[in-house]
Amino acid sequence: MSSIKPTIKVRTKDVIAIHWFNAFFWLTLVLTGFGIISGDFVRLAPAFWPTFLQNVLGGNANLVLLHGIGGMVWAGVIGVYALLNAKRVVLPFLKNVLVLTPKAAIADVSSMVITLAHLFGLLKHKSVPPQGRYNGAQRLLGTMIIACSLAIAVTGMYLFLSPMLLDFAASAGVLGGVFRWALVIHLAAVLLVLLGLVAHIYFAVVEEPESLETMKSGEAEVAFIKHHNPLWYAELEREGKV
Amino acid sequence: MVAKYVMLADTTRCINCKACEVACRAEWDTPLGYSRDWVKEVEYVNAKGLPEVQLFPGRCQHCDDPPCVEVCPSGASWKREDGIVLVDHAICSGCELCVPACPYEARWLNPVTNTISKCTFCQPRIDKGLQPACVDTCVGRALIFGDANDPNSEVSQLLKAKEWQKLVTDEVNIGPNHYYYTAGKAIPDTVMPKLNERHLSGKLMENIVNPLGTLGIGGMMAVFLGAGIKKLIDRRQDVSNKEGSHEQH
Ligand code: SF4
Ligand code: SF4
Repeated sequence: MSSIKPTIKVRTKDVIAIHWFNAFFWLTLVLTGFGIISGDFVRLAPAFWPTFLQNVLGGNANLVLLHGIGGMVWAGVIGVYALLNAKRVVLPFLKNVLVLTPKAAIADVSSMVITLAHLFGLLKHKSVPPQGRYNGAQRLLGTMIIACSLAIAVTGMYLFLSPMLLDFAASAGVLGGVFRWALVIHLAAVLLVLLGLVAHIYFAVVEEPESLETMKSGEAEVAFIKHHNPLWYAELEREGKV
Repeated sequence: MVAKYVMLADTTRCINCKACEVACRAEWDTPLGYSRDWVKEVEYVNAKGLPEVQLFPGRCQHCDDPPCVEVCPSGASWKREDGIVLVDHAICSGCELCVPACPYEARWLNPVTNTISKCTFCQPRIDKGLQPACVDTCVGRALIFGDANDPNSEVSQLLKAKEWQKLVTDEVNIGPNHYYYTAGKAIPDTVMPKLNERHLSGKLMENIVNPLGTLGIGGMMAVFLGAGIKKLIDRRQDVSNKEGSHEQH
């Protein structure tokens, strides 16, 4: 006997497409980026990775080119999408995830800590405060990803284009200095996002496969929303959507 | 066996004519005021109270363990199997992370190419079976270049025949492949390699950003792997509890 559980549409096709576009480019850019950095002092991936990738692509120059062009396609497509859909998608999303006040940040951190503790059977007596569409961890991750993505795009563009376009030697070390700091920011931002992505992927695949399903079909089970995101459920109720 | 190229400088034969520098500049068309090699003059008063000059022709030492390669983020600086340290100009960004990393001051940013310049032992000439330009032109035969892995080479013979010294200190010992003959005289401090203050950005990347990032991501993976395993164990326990209660009925 199969019972059809009631669902509602919570994501449009374009949002799903941009999510998977972002995921695919992240994977490619991280893999190629880790392949470019080969010096022992600054390398992030094990030594075999840059060697392997550079051999496959016929040298680091090709890898840098691929990474640079890939990065500009990633930033360009997301930038244009964000501009074209500012009102319909981006602003509501930002409103939902941006953590701008210290109070909100503290509330989100505490709900994240409780959620994490529950994974290990700890803090059982403490329940996670009722969540809106995005929970504390998702909001923190969202804010971090937006800030880091902007930093990655801007620094990446400088790292890729400045050696071709600017005269480093004539700037008395200034442009080179900016390049070195851009590299530090680029790396730090990538590492921060990766840190968050580990949790994001774990929750989507293991703890809440329902949300992964939503990122594929756009449909979410009403019962799941009611149970997981009661504040969002209340909002949907008010809007007459459920 | 792969070659291991070394440079020998017999300081007793150097007359400070600077022919090596001129040949190098002509070979590499270096901008005015820049050179890939040099002759350092050290003046001092000897034990007899007489003024003396020692001459040290120098260039990139093609170190076994080159910090310039280790700090290069783009892989533009690299070491060939035969020991020659090269810069791939197509990918050198000109970020100069490698400049203070070299304790021999062998690297500089070329204002024409905007990439790093340094001695390459004239690698294109070596690959054609020729000698480096500086060696070819040295009037006193103070510079001798060759394959130290070939027992019949001139450098191998000379290395065995005389007492050679390298520019190394307790602080900087990165396996330079440039040897100096001084007829037993000590090498003055001014010629010795010095650790330079590295760029703050480079130090931050090496000592804080990269280790913290790697640790953090590793830690996160361990936490969530643990959570996943716990979930599996709990589920198994749940199933066996249910089966147990089933059997009792
Ligand atoms: S001398 Fe300097 S530039 Fe040459 S290999 Fe050694 S560290 Fe690198
Ligand atoms: S300037 Fe030096 S460290 Fe920077 S990319 Fe070029 S060779 Fe590498």
